[in-house]
Amino acid sequence: MTVLETKRGVGAERRHPRSSPRTKSTYRKSDAVSAWLLLAPALILFITFIIIPTIVGFGLSFYEWNFFDTPAFIGVANFVKLATDSAAWASLGVTLMFVLLGVIPTIAIGFMLAVLINANMPGVGVLRVLYFVPVVLSVAVSAVLWAFIYDPRQGPIGALLRVLGLPPVDILNSDTLALPALVIMMIWLALPIVIILYLAGLQRVPEDIYSAAALDGAGPWRTLWQITWPNVASTTFVVAILQIVNYVASSLDVSLIMTNGGPLGATTALSLYAYRQAFSNQDVGYASVLSVLQLVIIVAIIGLGRLVTRRFTR
Amino acid sequence: MRLARLRIGRYSTIILFGLVIAFPMLYLLSGSLMSFRDIAQYPPRLFPTTPIWDNFIQAWAYLTPRTILNTFIFVFGVLFLQLAICLPAGFALSKIRFRGSSVVFALFLVPILMPTNLILIPTFVVTLQLGLVGTFLGLILPIAGQASVGVLLFRQFFSTLPDGLIEAARIDGANWFQTFFRIALPLARPIVAAYSVVTFLTAWNLYIWPLLVAPGEQTRVLTLALAPLATTQFSNISPSVGFAAAVIAMVPVLIVFVVFQKWFTRGIAGTGLE
Repeated sequence: MTVLETKRGVGAERRHPRSSPRTKSTYRKSDAVSAWLLLAPALILFITFIIIPTIVGFGLSFYEWNFFDTPAFIGVANFVKLATDSAAWASLGVTLMFVLLGVIPTIAIGFMLAVLINANMPGVGVLRVLYFVPVVLSVAVSAVLWAFIYDPRQGPIGALLRVLGLPPVDILNSDTLALPALVIMMIWLALPIVIILYLAGLQRVPEDIYSAAALDGAGPWRTLWQITWPNVASTTFVVAILQIVNYVASSLDVSLIMTNGGPLGATTALSLYAYRQAFSNQDVGYASVLSVLQLVIIVAIIGLGRLVTRRFTR
Repeated sequence: MRLARLRIGRYSTIILFGLVIAFPMLYLLSGSLMSFRDIAQYPPRLFPTTPIWDNFIQAWAYLTPRTILNTFIFVFGVLFLQLAICLPAGFALSKIRFRGSSVVFALFLVPILMPTNLILIPTFVVTLQLGLVGTFLGLILPIAGQASVGVLLFRQFFSTLPDGLIEAARIDGANWFQTFFRIALPLARPIVAAYSVVTFLTAWNLYIWPLLVAPGEQTRVLTLALAPLATTQFSNISPSVGFAAAVIAMVPVLIVFVVFQKWFTRGIAGTGLE
């Protein structure tokens, strides 16, 4: 039916180019005017505040600029500076630690919890709220809470250590513990979204696959990893990308609020290092190079992830 | 019998893990009502001896009504603008045939994987050049401009509406704007609700952009007032007052979340799987 209509439309257009306004294959000027008018507000804001900054960001990486004077073109000097800047490479290491410690646990815990609460039992809908609760918290609110939890003098962890007769540990001021502590909070904050995405993914897995697996005598653990997990692969892909982006870029809010990048730079990831270069050192060009580097890292990790998963699924 | 036992086991596991996840927040609620003595006690208390409502009065004074008002202006400004620009754009991209449609569509796809933090610095540069730093417009417009997800979501929704419906309206003499407002928009209510809840939450919780562009008293939002409590914590303000401030900042989103939970989960699933 639709094929026929399209064919007729094409034919009509060939005979009288302008007289067949309702067919899909014709363009009308008045339609175009209306379309552009409807698009204009979105395009103006989107181009001004997303597209132009994207281009400006790439462009500025070839300039030396302090926000106020005239930008000076310096070619690839900012990139050369990056090659010899040990602080930048240290912050790259911190970024990779955020990703390494954060992404896989977030996916694994989120997936298993989603499977757990994906139960058709009365009351589970209400209980799910417990799992979604961290989503209402901003990084700022949860930082107030978790800074207290980690506080050696007043927090519950410090209290527990005291009860056990162990020396207090200032977690957020420890160069080995601060980063994992931030990651734990970030996992907690990220879980609701991951669980919601997996619940949506699980709902699309056909029921009869499970009954077939049960008939074959597969236990719950085998069913989980050999039936459920491969069937939500597309969700896992989306979740993985979102979480890689989350741990590369959103660690900025977390470390800025909770540790200010310390102690001794132990939680200064690339995002925070770039932020400092721009807004403390007024070195906008170099900060832009560091932002470009973050984009490269994200793309590289996603590419690497695809490569690895392809090898394993074949 | 075995099935019943399995069920009980699953219920207990669900409740157990749920409590573990919700615990920090339940502790936040409880701690906001504790006295200084309660919250610093060893071993830690789960509940206040007597609820100290005065914590909230102090927290309110610390946050200032102005900051709370600013947050509402910011969040509703972003929400209103996002809907006003994304809905018509999504409609035009899905239902009107015109030259350049696919180019515009591709343009909106560009930043879909690019975290906005990566263009933080150049976005600040653009806002600075436009003279909008320190103003509500500077606070709102760049966030409202993050229209990719909204446009693509609404485009996807409108393309599920039958073409016949739109054409019938057009044959009846309605122009594209009337068709959009009278036919398409009323049908989009569920997706608008879902998108609004997610946008409300996201905007309410933003920190870096307000910090950069509008940290002044007149435009300061709640997250900026809260963040210092996480570090200079407990030197000049009691942790339970800090907790109370965090609860005040959380209440509006919590209400939105509880009332619109169904829309929220749909919104996340919809925007995440774009």
